[in-house]
Amino acid sequence: MRTTEKPTGIAVAALWAAALGVLALAGSHILADRSKSGEAWVHAWGKAWMPGAEGIGPYSGKETLALLTWLGSWILLHLALRRKNVSLTAGGVLFLVGVGLATALLWPPVTGRMVHLLQGGH
Amino acid sequence: MNMNLSALLGGSRYALEGALHGVAAGLFMITATIGLFQAYRLLTGTIQHPAQLEFGSVVNALLAFLTVLFGNRIYIFYRAQGGPRSYFMENSPQIHKIFFEFKEFVALFTLPLAVTAAFLFLAYRDQMLRSKGLRTIAAVLLALTFFYFLVAFGLGAAITKLRGL
Repeated sequence: MRTTEKPTGIAVAALWAAALGVLALAGSHILADRSKSGEAWVHAWGKAWMPGAEGIGPYSGKETLALLTWLGSWILLHLALRRKNVSLTAGGVLFLVGVGLATALLWPPVTGRMVHLLQGGH
Repeated sequence: MNMNLSALLGGSRYALEGALHGVAAGLFMITATIGLFQAYRLLTGTIQHPAQLEFGSVVNALLAFLTVLFGNRIYIFYRAQGGPRSYFMENSPQIHKIFFEFKEFVALFTLPLAVTAAFLFLAYRDQMLRSKGLRTIAAVLLALTFFYFLVAFGLGAAITKLRGL
């Protein structure tokens, strides 16, 4: 019996979207830590829809931006890659780099250093 | 809250939310651990029926979502005036920074990781078993879900011991 193999682009799109989601979380955290206006901007995303966002604080906006990036990029990447065969090795490595980078950026000493650099420090 | 429930959950105003978060996390610990074992089986090629993975991975993803959802609720109490955050910021800000801030973020990683793993099992079904690349990717996702869950769970337990709600 002949079976139809699904393209690997579907898997790679899902992987990259997950990585982009966690990178958005790290990015929004650094942005919120950088300045009061950044914090207010990030918090506004949470307050726009999340119940209890006032109590949760800017974290609600960071979750929202991560969620939007994850699901939004998943849709776009899925549409772009669903009929293509993409290397799972390259896709997987890029995914791991993204997740690793997000983890590093969220580690408080690294976050602090990044915020310092973005504020013009040396 | 009636007397029996109060005796079971404790006297805190936030006991119910805390208990729901704890139950979801406790169940997630079980499914994430099973996921780690399935990751090993995926890598060694000992899984015969992909349906074994589909249902479990969906439950795993659902529990990741519920744990985050209830975690959001108790975060309000954590940040409230006089809550654990105020206590840590006054007495030991590093505990809030390292233990809590890092925990609250890495805990969120579990959701896209577990959902992506479940999606791959449902999307590829039998093809998963024929493709070593797909099996490896799925195994990595399940292992990472377990890892990030473990970090968040361990730090969460430590914070609760240091200053409960």
